[in-house]
Amino acid sequence: MISDIQVMIAGVAGDGVLFTGNVLGKILKRQGWEVVTYRDFPSNIRGEATNYTIRASLSKIYNRGDYIDVLMAFDCDAILRHISSVAENGVILCEGGVSESVRLSPKRGRTFHKFPMKELAKKNFGSEIFKNTILLGGLCYILDLDLKIIEEVLSEVFLKRKVKEIAENNIQALRLGCDEAEKIVKEEEKHTLEERPDKNRLFISGDEAIALGALAAGCRFFAAYPICPATEIWQWLLKHIHEFNGLVVQTEDEIAAINMALGAAYAGVRAMTATSGPGASLMMEGFSLAGMAEIPIVIAHLQRVGPSTGLPTRPEQSDLNQWVFGAHGDFPRIVLSPGTIEECFYFMTVTFNLAEKYQCPVILLTEQNYGQNFYTVEKFDLSQVAIDRGLLLSQDELLMIEDYKRYALNENGISPRVVPSMVNGIHMIEGNEHDEKGYRDEDGEIRIKMMNKRMTKLNIAAKDVIPPKLWGKEDADIGIIGFGSTVCPIREAMDQLEEKGISTKFLQVRTLWPFSTAEVEEFMSSCNTVFVVENNYSGQLSRLMQGQGVECSRVHKINKYSGHTFRPVEIAESMLGVLEQ
Amino acid sequence: MKKDSYHLHDPTWCKGCGIYGIFAALKKAAISLQIPPERMVIVTGIGCHGRLNNYFNAYGFHGLHGRTLPVAAGIKLANSSLAVLAVSGDGDAYSIGVGHFIHANRRNVNITCIVVDNRVYALTQGQTSPTSQKGFVSVSSPFGSKETPLDGPRLAIVSGGTFVARGFSGIPEHLTELIIEGMTHNGFSLIEVLSPCVTYNKINTYKWFKENIVNLDDDTDYSAKTRKKALEVLSDRSKIPIGLLYHEERPSFDDLSLPSDIPIALTVLDVDEKKLDAIMKDFE
Repeated sequence: MISDIQVMIAGVAGDGVLFTGNVLGKILKRQGWEVVTYRDFPSNIRGEATNYTIRASLSKIYNRGDYIDVLMAFDCDAILRHISSVAENGVILCEGGVSESVRLSPKRGRTFHKFPMKELAKKNFGSEIFKNTILLGGLCYILDLDLKIIEEVLSEVFLKRKVKEIAENNIQALRLGCDEAEKIVKEEEKHTLEERPDKNRLFISGDEAIALGALAAGCRFFAAYPICPATEIWQWLLKHIHEFNGLVVQTEDEIAAINMALGAAYAGVRAMTATSGPGASLMMEGFSLAGMAEIPIVIAHLQRVGPSTGLPTRPEQSDLNQWVFGAHGDFPRIVLSPGTIEECFYFMTVTFNLAEKYQCPVILLTEQNYGQNFYTVEKFDLSQVAIDRGLLLSQDELLMIEDYKRYALNENGISPRVVPSMVNGIHMIEGNEHDEKGYRDEDGEIRIKMMNKRMTKLNIAAKDVIPPKLWGKEDADIGIIGFGSTVCPIREAMDQLEEKGISTKFLQVRTLWPFSTAEVEEFMSSCNTVFVVENNYSGQLSRLMQGQGVECSRVHKINKYSGHTFRPVEIAESMLGVLEQ
Repeated sequence: MKKDSYHLHDPTWCKGCGIYGIFAALKKAAISLQIPPERMVIVTGIGCHGRLNNYFNAYGFHGLHGRTLPVAAGIKLANSSLAVLAVSGDGDAYSIGVGHFIHANRRNVNITCIVVDNRVYALTQGQTSPTSQKGFVSVSSPFGSKETPLDGPRLAIVSGGTFVARGFSGIPEHLTELIIEGMTHNGFSLIEVLSPCVTYNKINTYKWFKENIVNLDDDTDYSAKTRKKALEVLSDRSKIPIGLLYHEERPSFDDLSLPSDIPIALTVLDVDEKKLDAIMKDFE
């Protein structure tokens, strides 16, 4: 029985690969399977190679798998690009059949079929546009999907766009594709997926989970500039935030975005922005102001490949340094790193509480592959969401204070906050060094006191942030450390190693700053060999560990920076390479 | 509200600085509009003007160089019941912050922007600014400025500004009127103020400004209602027009975008499980 399957749809940008992949994902979700999509697309609207992988499994998954079981290709080039990833018993369907060179290339027993999607679409509907639904029909046959579910999903998609006629044509195209596949694909080549119950689950992207988390946590102001792969967050929020008396503003640049969010946060609204590497570089000055002026803002950062414009639509983990060390001056900041889509939601709901409790900027740092791909998750539990606004005074509380000081010095460094319009609370928000009332002060002693006050907050926050999570067997002496979305291929690599009789354990670092030094040190001391797995060149996490004084001589770095996530087998093989030495 | 309602401290700007006139005019405007100090927020940038918050009794935000306008817009959109002013300088608004200046005009958020134009970078000790005249000799242009000065009001008008005025700190009564009108205007209002720097600009002095300005508000033939007319007077390099240059009634960004009349900042935050649950259905 099949328990895990991976389908790839490949073509060029403009072929509708993305749309088809999303629909297939939703169909598989409705069939009751765990689904992960993996968009691998260029920074281009038409013409360049693109592909979309949809993986379905009976167990919980968050990453693409190792091999492709069914490849649906709109052109022959797509086969050449991906044939090395097709599984031994894989099936390949291609628009125009395959050329001689392709036919000769496979070393393994893959089967090819000509599946003329464009041709059929043109012949039957007078337009190539229906090729994608014909493709879905083909998959419907190969995977033995429930036609009713597909029709239901298609109707939802097209009726949402209010085009009834198109919905009907698509259902016809679906049946056509299904019949055509039945003619050419042999019974033994089918990958039949059993139907399972689909209850209390969502099919959602990381960006949408972040947006939903923000909304649930009380985010009511969002200012941002379009950037891949973070824009989907506010595009989704735009549909709903007004129902909560909130606003999204598209600004002229990221500098304006962070400053506008700072203005709104100062005025008492839970405010945030979202960006990626290049935008984050522009935000650094405002980030520093948030630290100095103690304004609670949240920044969601979706990492893509850098430096510079890099590979704008592909994942990497190379912006850890940017938020942990970035911007001028010393100031407190909190950086969270979710390892699953569920954590994208739940961590997001925590960010605003941390920001308001410690009156400092909080960053939710995740990656493009989470942001722009879709995943099945357990429906989010809203009873777990709580709003804690920290030391935000009410008007009545403020009236009780004789001489209100915005930056009042005290032991824990956290001073009561008020917002403009409150009587008895007039003060200054200062980017310059300031006294307790917020007025500029260049006295050396005040400077020291204020620096200590701000930095002290982080000592308390360190006990309140999200601790690392331990996976695997506690008594294993081979350890892995990682953060963010590598969590999932790491866990699958652990299973692959376990099958070979090698037990491992894994520490998922979930707060990058303040760093969980004690927990990491304890984990390191319980291992003989430690691997730090990162989707970047330099090993930013292992450098962070070193900087925190963690003894790293037994660390082996596993890094990937091709613009793609790890496949589990790549991690397992790299580890085996070291372990067998 | 009395005059001393807004006076927090005696300023320590250079004796004779044009900004004293602006400080006085702003206080008078606030009295005239009867804005309680706690309902007023003044956002300032970096430059000598940035000290204004230290002397003016209102909520103050002294942030980054050139970023007054996005901060002010954020405050206003978060709490529409506040009177929000951005006080900026010629370097702050027209050089490092010029991108925000252009977009603030076209976005038309209901805030007032006062640009203190002394035609020099004074706080950093006398460098040439974007409004310094061609040939201006300074520590940063010892052989005279080679660049054409930027005209803020002209830029505001072509950027879609809805209220564009220019005052002179040497005529504070007139300036007070302009600030009152600007603050009453629904939408973004710009009041550029010609403001002599007595320490670093020996060219554009009080005397020089008095000789070179022409007050359009004294000209009964001038109508601030047409963009063409405004651009025409601004193109005449022989005189510097002051007064209300251009005025247009257009719905503000606030009118068009805010979800309700209740200020966002006054919304009680709770986790509305029912509403969120309904939204989650979209993902099933």
